[in-house]
Amino acid sequence: MDNRIISYVLQDAGILIEAALVLYVAWTRQWKKQGTAAFYLTCLLVAQLTRACVLHAYGFASLRYYYIYWSTDFLLVLSAYLAVCLLFRRVDLRQEKMWGLIRLLLVLVFILVAAISGVSLSLNRKHFFTYFIIAFNQNLYFACLALNTLLYVLLRYMDSTDNQLALLVCGVGIQFAGPTAALALVHLTTGGGFALWLGSLVMRLCTFGMLLVWAYAIIRAKDKATQVTRREIPGLAEVTAELDV
Amino acid sequence: MIIAALILIVSTALFFLYLQVTCQEILRREFDREYFQCIANANRLEFPSLRKSLEEFGAPVDYPRLRMMLKCDFLTLTYLLKNVANVNRRYSNEERLLILYFRWQFHSLAVRRLLRVGENKAILKLTSVLEYFANVVGQRVNTVRFGNLTAADYLHNL
Repeated sequence: MDNRIISYVLQDAGILIEAALVLYVAWTRQWKKQGTAAFYLTCLLVAQLTRACVLHAYGFASLRYYYIYWSTDFLLVLSAYLAVCLLFRRVDLRQEKMWGLIRLLLVLVFILVAAISGVSLSLNRKHFFTYFIIAFNQNLYFACLALNTLLYVLLRYMDSTDNQLALLVCGVGIQFAGPTAALALVHLTTGGGFALWLGSLVMRLCTFGMLLVWAYAIIRAKDKATQVTRREIPGLAEVTAELDV
Repeated sequence: MIIAALILIVSTALFFLYLQVTCQEILRREFDREYFQCIANANRLEFPSLRKSLEEFGAPVDYPRLRMMLKCDFLTLTYLLKNVANVNRRYSNEERLLILYFRWQFHSLAVRRLLRVGENKAILKLTSVLEYFANVVGQRVNTVRFGNLTAADYLHNL
């Protein structure tokens, strides 16, 4: 099968799942509880739809598409960072002092990434959209991955019972870890054809994987809530077990 | 170059770690009752006794028999998952992921045994997947209705 077809199928399926999840959150009025997921999903959806519209109107080789692609990528990585920060906020830290420390860490990491990327910009001022944004995006994605891992460790350390939050964090981890590895592979192979193909496929697969994990987290949480109110009914398995004896 | 190689190694490791952690988070799902024991009794599954022996005595039974027990239980439960009280007759996405996870752990068990590293831990992970499957089957069976009767009521009235 043509590689482009797989890529388009994954992308379109991703857009559909994103739209369905945003609608689901709106329909079930879970904006407050699922605010972080809804925010990032909306950003993904808007970015992908904008890109698709511009691509359709001006073509792949146009300058407008080039600017829109990198601008939306920049906004996406910023929204990803914000999403990780909001996930940190959702953790029941019990102590406001600890949240203060984490907030300071999040601000410092962001400033550090911006400063490191600024070095790339100072070396190549004419190529803002290539050097700065690519360097900034890669660094911030890796920072998101590291912070997300820290968040998961924190959840386990605190023995958190928020299974839904843990699943959201796992989804974010899959979304960031795969593309980071793919980008590093592309860098190591100096942009080899196979690495580029693998990289683009891994990125779409990871986004798709994250969407599936988030869908499970968001929808299962509702199921769990309804399970509590359900009437206890005798189990067929128990009856068959008795018959078996 | 070195930094890129480091990032590649770390992110690949984290990617697989997150996949594994996702499976474990799915396995943490709480059911309103413990259905697995009934399903295990009704179908003569051996994973509860295997886990009990492992937790109590710390040593599993002989290895070829252990593999056979786990494999038979897995085949039975995946069949039940697909065919019992399942209108669509297909696995859900999380079940597919857990089936892959089970197979991965099952194959890694041979390597772990060879290296003598974390063998019991792998067996416990495998039994936890089987327990989850049994719980899902039990919960589905529990909600099946024939008209106004549940499946259990129906059988009681026979």
